[in-house]
Amino acid sequence: MILEIDNVELNYNSKRILSGIYLKAETGIVTGILGSNGCGKTSLLNTIFGDLQPKYKLVRIDSKPILKPLYKTKLVKYLPQHTFLPKLNLSTVFKLFYVSWQEFILQFPSFSKYEKTKTHRLSGGEQRIVEIYLILKSDSKIVLLDEPFSHLAPLQVEKIKQLINAEKKCKVIIITDQMYTQIIETSDEIYLLKNGCSKKIDKLNELEDYKYLSEGSLN
Amino acid sequence: MKKLPYLDEIFIYIHRLLEYMQQLMSIMAFYRSYVLWSFFINIIITIVNPNIFAAIVTKLLLTFFLWYLVNETSAKRKLIFYKNLGISTFKLFSVLFFVDILITITFLLLIKEFI
Repeated sequence: MILEIDNVELNYNSKRILSGIYLKAETGIVTGILGSNGCGKTSLLNTIFGDLQPKYKLVRIDSKPILKPLYKTKLVKYLPQHTFLPKLNLSTVFKLFYVSWQEFILQFPSFSKYEKTKTHRLSGGEQRIVEIYLILKSDSKIVLLDEPFSHLAPLQVEKIKQLINAEKKCKVIIITDQMYTQIIETSDEIYLLKNGCSKKIDKLNELEDYKYLSEGSLN
Repeated sequence: MKKLPYLDEIFIYIHRLLEYMQQLMSIMAFYRSYVLWSFFINIIITIVNPNIFAAIVTKLLLTFFLWYLVNETSAKRKLIFYKNLGISTFKLFSVLFFVDILITITFLLLIKEFI
C-alpha cells in the first residue's frame, strides 16, 4: 500500500502552517517526520487522519484519491500526543480494539496485574505503552504515531522500536517525535518540515544544512 | 478445493456485523459516563411533564449541549479513541441520542403504568 498526501494548505487565522507538502509513505518502510516546535508535524498527522480539515488537501491510497476523512475508511489508527483512552478497564479497551491481552502481557509482564484496572489509574508512561501497543497491534493498514517515545523509559523505548520494526512489514507507518535520534534510528525515510513545506532527506547531513540540527550534532 | 458460492459475501457480511457490534459497544462505553445524569433528567421530566414529545425535545437539546461541551473542552481529545474505531463525532452523538431516547421512552411508559 502507498499513502500519499499532497497539496495541503492549512492556516490558523492568518498564519500559514502548511503550504507545500508532499509526503509518500508505504508498507514495509517507516516514514519519519522531523521539524522544530510548531512547524506543523501534529497538524499534518491530524490532516492525514481526517480530524483536521485544511483549506486544501489530497490524500491518495495506491493513487486513488480518498475524499472522506481517512479514519472513516477504518484503514488508519492514530496515536495523538495526548492520552486518548476513556475511563474503561484495560481488558475492555483491548476487546474494543480487537487486540489480544494475553499477547500484550507476554511482552509486558508487569501489566498482568492491571487487567481489571481503569486506564486513568495507570501512570502516564504506562498509559502511553498501552496506547502505542493498541495502535500498533490493532487491525489497520496505516499507523500514525505522534511522539510515541515521550514519557517512556529507555528500556521501553527499545521495546516499542522493536514493535514498530515488526509491524512495518504489513503496515504503512508514519512517525514523528522531538527525540530526533530515535526517529533517525527507527525510520527508513525521513521528511523535514520547515516553513510549512516538506523536504525529503536523502543524507542526514542535510538536517544540519537546513538548520534543523546544529553543526556537528550527528558526529 | 471448490469454493462454496456466496462464501466471500457471507464472510464480508459477518465481518461488517462484527464491526457494527464493536462500534455499538464503544458508543455504549461512552454513554456509560452519562447514564446517571440521563436517569436524573428522566426523573425530572417525570415530575415536571411526563410527555414523550417533550422528553424527546429535552433530550435532543441536552445532546446538542453535550456535543458543544465536549467540543469546547479538553474532552474533545477523547474523541480520537472513537475515531480510531471509525466512529465520527456525528455518529457517536446520534447513536447516543437514539439509545438514550429508547431508554427514556421505555422509562416513561413504565412509569405511566404505575401512576
